[in-house]
Amino acid sequence: MTNQLKTGQKALNMNDSSMHSNTDRIKKSLKKRNSKEKRFRLWGRLAISFGFLMVAILFADIGTKAYPAFFQHWIKVDIEFNRQWLSIEPSDSAVRPDMQALKQANYSATVKKSLYQMFPSITARGDKRDLMKLLSYSAEFKIEDLVTANPDLLGQRVSLWLLADDDVDSYFKSDFTAGQSSGRINDKQAMWLKQLFDSGAVEKRFNTLFFTNSDSREPELAGIRGALSGTILTMIIVLAISFPIGVSAALYLEEFAPKNRWTDMIEVNINNLAAVPSIVFGLLGLAVLINIFGLPRSASLVGGIVLSLMTLPTIIIASRASIKAVPNSIREAAIGLGASDMQVTLEHVLPMAMPGILTGTIIGLAQALGETAPLLMIGMVAFIVDVPTNFTDAATVMPVQIYLWADSPESAFLAKTSAAILVLLAFLLIMNFSATFLRSKFEKNGQ
Amino acid sequence: MTIKTKSLTDGMEIEHTVGNVFADDPKMSMRNVDVFYNDKQAIKNVSIDLARNQVTALIGPSGCGKSTFLRCLNRMNDTIDICKIKGSLLLDGEDIYHKKMDPVLLRARVGMVFQKPNPFPKSIYDNVAYGPRIHGLAASKDDLDEIVVTSLQKAGLYKEVKDRLSSSGTGLSGGQQQRLCIARTIAVSPEIILMDEPASALDPIATAIIEELIDELKEKYTIAIVTHSMQQAARISQTTAYFHMGSLIEVGSTDHIFTNPSHQLTENYITGRFG
Ligand SMILES: Nc1ncnc2c1ncn2[C@@H]1O[C@H](COP(=O)(O)OP(=O)(O)OP(=O)(O)O)[C@@H](O)[C@H]1O
Ligand SMILES: [Mg+2]
Repeated sequence: MTNQLKTGQKALNMNDSSMHSNTDRIKKSLKKRNSKEKRFRLWGRLAISFGFLMVAILFADIGTKAYPAFFQHWIKVDIEFNRQWLSIEPSDSAVRPDMQALKQANYSATVKKSLYQMFPSITARGDKRDLMKLLSYSAEFKIEDLVTANPDLLGQRVSLWLLADDDVDSYFKSDFTAGQSSGRINDKQAMWLKQLFDSGAVEKRFNTLFFTNSDSREPELAGIRGALSGTILTMIIVLAISFPIGVSAALYLEEFAPKNRWTDMIEVNINNLAAVPSIVFGLLGLAVLINIFGLPRSASLVGGIVLSLMTLPTIIIASRASIKAVPNSIREAAIGLGASDMQVTLEHVLPMAMPGILTGTIIGLAQALGETAPLLMIGMVAFIVDVPTNFTDAATVMPVQIYLWADSPESAFLAKTSAAILVLLAFLLIMNFSATFLRSKFEKNGQ
Repeated sequence: MTIKTKSLTDGMEIEHTVGNVFADDPKMSMRNVDVFYNDKQAIKNVSIDLARNQVTALIGPSGCGKSTFLRCLNRMNDTIDICKIKGSLLLDGEDIYHKKMDPVLLRARVGMVFQKPNPFPKSIYDNVAYGPRIHGLAASKDDLDEIVVTSLQKAGLYKEVKDRLSSSGTGLSGGQQQRLCIARTIAVSPEIILMDEPASALDPIATAIIEELIDELKEKYTIAIVTHSMQQAARISQTTAYFHMGSLIEVGSTDHIFTNPSHQLTENYITGRFG
């Protein structure tokens, strides 16, 4: 009896202990699992911090390099709008010269002589030339603009702020000791500059020209407006071509096309296309668009078409993936209510796939935005001074501009290169933000 | 027991359906329907009528082909590439698989409530209004409002959602979603309504509302319903069809099937000895 009881108890205990050990086992493994999860989270945080750190370093580096490019030095010069210096006929102050006469006037002489007046002690020819080198050659155009806009200035003497030459600009931006020669500024020039500086005739201003001018041989005049316009025009073409075509192709392939060998082959080829080196598309653009169809060289239209070809596979692949991810039950629900295939596709599948499609599009556009190689072939890698205003004007794009400046010997272009990179990054960010905004809008609609 | 049932059907082709498959006034009549998924036959030689203004219940163990058969009746299976259908399926004497039959029109006439609730990721209002909108059933905004409200009321959902018609349909509970899908289907006023387990996620009260609705709907519409609940089939249907492994074993008046089934398999199933 006692025995029986004991064995019974034993059995119960065993049961108990085995239950216990199960919980223990789970607890033990739970410990392992938890620490695994912790480690994974730590890794994730490390990876993200690393990424952020790299981006921060990149921005800090580019930012500090670009900083000088956003400022410029200006020199105050007393300009005398002397009719003789301007060689305006007749020199009689009572007669108002006509536009023709104003256009032909000698403004460079006026600048020179006004400047010599400020430094009467300078007589040697070489010194005079060095003195002139302090000012950007854009000075004469500035006073021409002033006079043609307001002929009453003739005969007057006006204090004007004129842009300094890039060497002067660099001199002031470097840590110079006043009056000492440095870089491309010689001793005499340094002395004059010190005089000007001490008399308050030198000023550092925000560089608006950088945003309003196009490329120029003179670093102090070079700006990104032309390249930025070219980029915007090209991106409009890329978006206008690759987005509708890419999305339609993806919708057709996913929703309408029969699944057979042909569509399999198309799929493989689209994937191949995504892997084709971009310069090949440039060759195609040259051979077909320019040589056969006779489209203009260097035009953003051609650049846009070429970059569209490059962007299309990216958009198609991303769109197809996101269309595939739309649950079939939604299609069935709409079909079951009597929606036509077209209605199902446009009213249900497309809106639900839109966030993914937009992500793909932005990746494709970002690729196109940074591309230079294919543009090389169609002549968009060129020195272009005019701001393109339509799709057939000769244009260049931001990355090309960056490349051209990085390749220039003048030290002032170094800062411009970084500044242009910053502008390109800003452009990319704006593009990304608008895509994110649209995306969240579609997601909200979808919920 | 299970072994015995198995031996009854293993490798055995069921040639004839027991009971009367013909209705006096058929809304739809299906003859010798075979359905294949690739080479796998899911429906074997099924013939049955859906009587006008009646409720026909399709019952049978899981995987026997009830959904597959139901989806043939409004050509939902067209969307599955691997699905092939043979036989004749007539709606008011017209072949629904005829070249001239527009599947879009067919599906407007033969509505469907799916086994899994599948609301659109749109507002509750838009979910119900979608069908009437695409078919141009409402003359004005007020008309549409009225259709939406009455449909929701009939599905027994209106009270719960009347203050949030503009919030998303996917934010509802499973049972609410199921009722939303029912409201969405009846908003189009189809001639035939196919329901695939419409009450599988509903509590007894909501189930009662839906059963009441079905009872009311049959005055105007013809209904086919798949259900796993014997009691439900017994309560709402006039005709019951028992499917087994793709074959239609027995058809008859619901009273007859539940009180005095003729086939051994039917009896096993309804007495709970199978499935
Ligand atoms: N899309 C499909 N592709 C391939 N086979 C399928 C498909 N849909 C269903 N089947 C097969 O067809 C048979 C019948 O399936 P069906 O969904 O019609 O069963 P059911 O009677 O509705 O079951 P349940 O009661 O579980 O819903 C099953 O064997 C299933 O595996
Ligand atoms: Mg089913």
